[in-house]
Amino acid sequence: MRPNIHVKSKVAVVGAGLTLFRRRMLETPRELAWEAASMALESAGLTLKDIDCVVIGTAPDAFDGVHLNGEYLADGAGGINRPTVRVYVGGGTGVFVPIAAWWHVASGLCRTVLAVAEEKMSPGHPHPQGVFAYIWDPVLERPLGPNLIWIFALEMRRYMHKCGARKEDIALVSVKNKANALGHPAAQAAARITVEDVLNSEVLVWPVNRLDISPVSDGAAALVLASENEARRITDSPVWVEGVGFTLDNTHWYNRELGYPRYVQYAARMAYKMAGIERPWREIDVAEPYDPFDYKELHHIEGLMLARPCEAPKLLKEGHFNRDGDLPTSPSGGLLGVGNPIAAAGVMKVAELFWQLRYEAGARQVKKPVHRGVAQAWGDLMQAGTVIVLGN
Amino acid sequence: MSWWKENVASRIRHYPGKMEVEKYVYTPGVHGLEQAKALKEGKILGAKCGDTIYVPPLTLCPDHKPGELVEVRGPWRVVTYTIIAETMDGRRLEKPEVIAVVKPDDAEGGLIHRVEADQVYIGMEVEPVFKPEAERKGTIDDILYFKPK
Repeated sequence: MRPNIHVKSKVAVVGAGLTLFRRRMLETPRELAWEAASMALESAGLTLKDIDCVVIGTAPDAFDGVHLNGEYLADGAGGINRPTVRVYVGGGTGVFVPIAAWWHVASGLCRTVLAVAEEKMSPGHPHPQGVFAYIWDPVLERPLGPNLIWIFALEMRRYMHKCGARKEDIALVSVKNKANALGHPAAQAAARITVEDVLNSEVLVWPVNRLDISPVSDGAAALVLASENEARRITDSPVWVEGVGFTLDNTHWYNRELGYPRYVQYAARMAYKMAGIERPWREIDVAEPYDPFDYKELHHIEGLMLARPCEAPKLLKEGHFNRDGDLPTSPSGGLLGVGNPIAAAGVMKVAELFWQLRYEAGARQVKKPVHRGVAQAWGDLMQAGTVIVLGN
Repeated sequence: MSWWKENVASRIRHYPGKMEVEKYVYTPGVHGLEQAKALKEGKILGAKCGDTIYVPPLTLCPDHKPGELVEVRGPWRVVTYTIIAETMDGRRLEKPEVIAVVKPDDAEGGLIHRVEADQVYIGMEVEPVFKPEAERKGTIDDILYFKPK
């Protein structure tokens, strides 16, 4: 970390845990949070007594169907009788949770933080998609009967037009990520598929087909973050948080250039500046860009400045982003392969960097030596970018 | 009548909206499943954490470990109570309903439930009355009410 920001202490990730990601879990949100939190503590060799503060993240309460969902699952997340906050920036929450945990520690307020994200998408019937109806403007947009996929279809079409990308170029992301997920023990949608499978899956909202989209999932993920002094006591291989960034773009998503994610670029610049990174396309060894849809990974790779605008589809085709490539992206399998319990999916991405940077990712370990990784998520009204840079 | 009980929507300029999630389906969870089975058998469970039993049997003990499920036998006592005179939709109840926090002597915590008694007071000893076995569904409604012991 460059001394361009004053912190009381450097911050490290020292433990991570993850539940299975599945379409419908028996466990309550509280039980899922407990499972992930316990695993994260155990992996750091700590117990809850060693934790000063707790940060919880979940996306809209309406998915779990419990208002004040953060408070509801606080005892599972270990948040009772200690300083606890819940943070929320929609889909960006997953990466915002470790960012919030970072400032808890960097400020000197807490020495150790348990950061837990949970999402249970299965309670809402007939489909959790119904929850998204309330993000639309009730006067101008809702009378058209929109759903969330409309946004992605419009954005994907714009990206294809601007960059000259074809459906089959974009489908490669789904092929890569679902195959990467075959090595992930928590994965819900791991598969060996072909570009033809994606193109032949049913068209939902053109140009989006079923296999372009991540699944609906239940799950939880957790991290333990600690100050430098604590981290060096806890482990020989702490993974340092080198930079964090977050940005909110304008609320009217269709009033901006949809072909390029400005919200990611601004957040990434903030994080890179803090990490002292000037040429991210060279200095980042492994990336976990947010991939709820396959084109979104390409979009976000460009926003993270890991490729020039419109260059990502070409590099993808050349194998640049494969697990054995020059800059592996979503080696975990991403949301497309592992699953998408919204907030937990973002923490899963940060956990993957943690394992990659400790060379603990097993079958998923990328081929090249790794020193630095970046994870990113995106949310709110298609406007929030959250970015974290980790290094070993 | 209060303003919200009238049909204001027909008189004001408005945009109609509809809840698209029609219902929620909550899974019971690991401990919740056991509790549901016990209610069907006419038992109330608690979670044993060390020497203390907690009711209801939420998954976690204060030390962040799952507790051991055990039956709570009572006797139960009224901790506090209220009397419902009017419902949400403004209907006066002919027979006011008593809602109480009841706590078993052998456990911490307690339940909120109906109490049917001519007279209620704090500290009153009560016991659960279950539905007939064939009608039980494994929900908290399997307990009809608590009655004086």
